[in-house]
Amino acid sequence: MNITIDGKPCVCEPGEYLLDVARRNRIVIPTLCHHDGLPGQGCCRVCIVEVEIRGRRNIVTSCVYPVERECAVFTDSDAVNQQRRVVLALLRSRAPEADRINRLCKLYKVPEYERFASKSGEKCILCGLCVKACQSLGTGAIAAMNRGVEKEVSTPYDKPSDDCVGCGSCAAVCPTGAIEVKEDAASRAIWNREFRLRICERCGQPAGTMEELELAARKSGAEPSALCGECRKKAVADAMAATYGV
Amino acid sequence: MAIPAISDQDFDRLTRAYPSDRRYALAVMQDMQRRYNYIPPEGLTALAEYLNCPVAELYSMATFYKALSLKPKGNHIIKVCDGTACHIRGSVNLLNGIMAALGIGPEETTEDGEFSLELVNCLGSCALAPVMVVDGVYYGKVTLESLPDIFNRLREGAAV
Repeated sequence: MNITIDGKPCVCEPGEYLLDVARRNRIVIPTLCHHDGLPGQGCCRVCIVEVEIRGRRNIVTSCVYPVERECAVFTDSDAVNQQRRVVLALLRSRAPEADRINRLCKLYKVPEYERFASKSGEKCILCGLCVKACQSLGTGAIAAMNRGVEKEVSTPYDKPSDDCVGCGSCAAVCPTGAIEVKEDAASRAIWNREFRLRICERCGQPAGTMEELELAARKSGAEPSALCGECRKKAVADAMAATYGV
Repeated sequence: MAIPAISDQDFDRLTRAYPSDRRYALAVMQDMQRRYNYIPPEGLTALAEYLNCPVAELYSMATFYKALSLKPKGNHIIKVCDGTACHIRGSVNLLNGIMAALGIGPEETTEDGEFSLELVNCLGSCALAPVMVVDGVYYGKVTLESLPDIFNRLREGAAV
């Protein structure tokens, strides 16, 4: 199927998400709540674009918009820019400490709106990526608690969770760096809990928390790894090289 | 008030009617709320184990629904209506009267564990304004004078 994005002809399969098509064609659409590994959030609305089908123009959310017929897409039209500015202004009020949002605001020249009260010290936009990441790992240690203006992502009773393995996936997928992780050579603190780190036998770098390595081992049915990710790759490469006599 | 500890036997009784499936989480928690007047932490953990889902998910549900409480509620739950009709007919005075009589504010429970106070938006009985509901019993056109009598009778456990 052929579509055009900002005038550039692009080829795509029916049902493919517009954002993926655009990115494949090196067309930049800003996103916050999108993560390639956890698609389908569609809640930050930063990735909105305008789609024209048979002369009718609509604003759509590109990360969850499946391309079903031939269309012309505009990522930089006046309507898109205007609406994106409002979206960004609202997100900025929600999370004024989030650097990434502030950078986007600067980039898209978002004016100051006095009428939106800022939530001071906040970085989280409640997109739910962290919760999704934790769930998809099978741990499910965090979830959205309370509702309305009091909604927040946390562990049950705000206490250290037994389910948490300290893998830090939640912090890794967070678009605004809202989840605090403190790490030194031997330990990692996250969600009010401290984890001891296992040190890689080969290079001496931290390989992960004991709990996360055990979880991975349980899932794969192998022994907990004594090596870090890098050294594991090297070990596999060495084994292959030895096998094939390179 | 002695908070009843949730034993394995109690828990079995709570979950007997429900298969071990996530979609029954809310139903079990409603039963738990009815039985204990709140969702005890050990009940939440036991339920998570029974339904094979994370505690965080259940905790998230328990904090979302107003019908579920994570703090122990009193034996008698007083719902004071502050809908438009009741508001105009002086529900604020009624609320102040109750707060003075029991020494608690909305969403709080007396120290002896007898009463919990809730402020709700409309009980659908505007003709009875100002109205309050205690343990499912409606009290219409409540006056400040009638309050001590109602509370005393509830304390004594008499059927009203």
